[in-house]
Amino acid sequence: MIQNIHLEKITELLKYKSGDPLLFNTSLFLILFFLFLVIYNLFKNNKRARIISLIVFSFYFYYKSTEYFAAILIVSAVINFFFGKWIASTDSFPIKRIFLALALILNLTLLGYFKYTNFLLQAISDLRGTEFNPIAIFLPIGISFYTFKALTYIFDIYYDTLKPTKNFLDFVLYLSFFPNVLMGPIDRAADFLPQINKELFISKDDLGRATFLICSGLLKTVILSSYLEDNFIGRIFEFPLRYTGVENLLAIYAYAIRLYCDFSGYTDLAIGISLFLGFKIMDNFNSPFKATSIADFWRRWHISFSKWLLDYLFKPVQISLRRWKIFGNIIGLIVTFFICGLWHGAGWNFILWGLYFGVLMSIALFLQKPKERLYKALKIHNTKFLRFFQIIITFHFIAFSFLLFRLNDLQIAKDMLSQIFEFFHGEVFLQFMEKMPLIFGLIVIGFISHFFPVKIENAIKRAVTALPLAGKIILLAFIIWLITQFKSADIQPFIYFQF
Amino acid sequence: MISQELKKVILNELNLDDYDIQDETMAPEVPGWDSLNHVNIILAVEKFFSVRFKSYEVLRLKNVGDLQKLLDSKLGK
Repeated sequence: MIQNIHLEKITELLKYKSGDPLLFNTSLFLILFFLFLVIYNLFKNNKRARIISLIVFSFYFYYKSTEYFAAILIVSAVINFFFGKWIASTDSFPIKRIFLALALILNLTLLGYFKYTNFLLQAISDLRGTEFNPIAIFLPIGISFYTFKALTYIFDIYYDTLKPTKNFLDFVLYLSFFPNVLMGPIDRAADFLPQINKELFISKDDLGRATFLICSGLLKTVILSSYLEDNFIGRIFEFPLRYTGVENLLAIYAYAIRLYCDFSGYTDLAIGISLFLGFKIMDNFNSPFKATSIADFWRRWHISFSKWLLDYLFKPVQISLRRWKIFGNIIGLIVTFFICGLWHGAGWNFILWGLYFGVLMSIALFLQKPKERLYKALKIHNTKFLRFFQIIITFHFIAFSFLLFRLNDLQIAKDMLSQIFEFFHGEVFLQFMEKMPLIFGLIVIGFISHFFPVKIENAIKRAVTALPLAGKIILLAFIIWLITQFKSADIQPFIYFQF
Repeated sequence: MISQELKKVILNELNLDDYDIQDETMAPEVPGWDSLNHVNIILAVEKFFSVRFKSYEVLRLKNVGDLQKLLDSKLGK
């Protein structure tokens, strides 16, 4: 009897549960991953078995988040594998272009159907003035990410920088690779495929880096993200008018840190886990709030995605419109950032968020030469003094843009801004520090650690790498213990999941 | 082999006195050859040699050698 109950409980845990994807910072995942690592290492010398076991685990992981919609992943793999083959098989450019167009249409229709149907239909009925009842369409998490991964394969073959792989399973592994199937980084087929057939070898540096990233990822996602959200940010954003302007401003700053820690923390975990499996995935973040301009910000935030947009959208548009000079660049920017916003979500607030950056970047293009002349005349060109102000100003442009990112009810954004500008009450800041020391402390820690010079970060990485294996295990165990102290009853899912 | 004229057009656009440009030279290696200047260089080449490139032809270029080959094909060489 007791055995039956245990078996039932375990099956319940392992089965798909709606709204409960397998998050990296849960004990269930950690246990399953550890068990899988054991099997994976048993197949150390058998490449085929290793790859197949990884595919099986990846599909189980994806099934846990999307149930039978995991089949879509297979559909995507088949479509893109064959189109890649066909594009490369002909020397005729018109035919290559037809295959490319078809592949694009198929991929974007798949993505569009699941993600944008209701948004599109709502927009049409708004235009018509009719009522609209949303259709129940399940959104398979991660579809935005792996669709874009598949497109890197297609585009790179079309631009002749990649030869298609003859091995269908290799391509399936690339698309379904569980560390980044749900939330990126959007790594390139050209970088991932060659790693599949290498011998499994994890250097000491890789192990050290992986340990560091997993610890950092766990701390960021649980303590600096979920805890801050549940115990401070969420409250202010729900009823901004109940709080003073200074608290609203702090909530905006905290939200910026929260968003960064959530996403970059998950990325850290994804990269760390990949390293344990013997794969190197590209970085996705490079201290984005150190950016001195919007352009610089997008070279540091969601790097895999912005590189994708640059290589496969902006550059082609820019080259096509080259005869329109600066206006060609501007159209390129607006189109690219429109898509950037739209990719993040099927909502007008996301589109506005993207266009906000497109417009700012376009203005920056016009102002580039005059600004440089001004700075040189004032003798502040390339000084730390200038850099300091550029960072502060850029950060505020970014942090306030996140309001659009988070809220589809713009009234709340208006309320927050009105509190900040009309009801600031700076003196409340001292009371805040006194009454909520942990929250305040976490915000400060979040910012200070973000602005650590690279030297300190590298020193910490080296220290972790130098630890013996037992030391690394103890460190991980300690971090896991620490985050369980902070975990609330409900785990906040990663924000980027809805994409 | 990169023709002297092509080399001159590129150096002129980048405001460089000299740089060793070979077949295998790639854009990121040359000082100032970023994505904004890339467009200017392509335009300058088209203007100087009175040719028109198709966009996908430009996007497939991996190094200056490819650009030379593309240019030659347009000039009927």
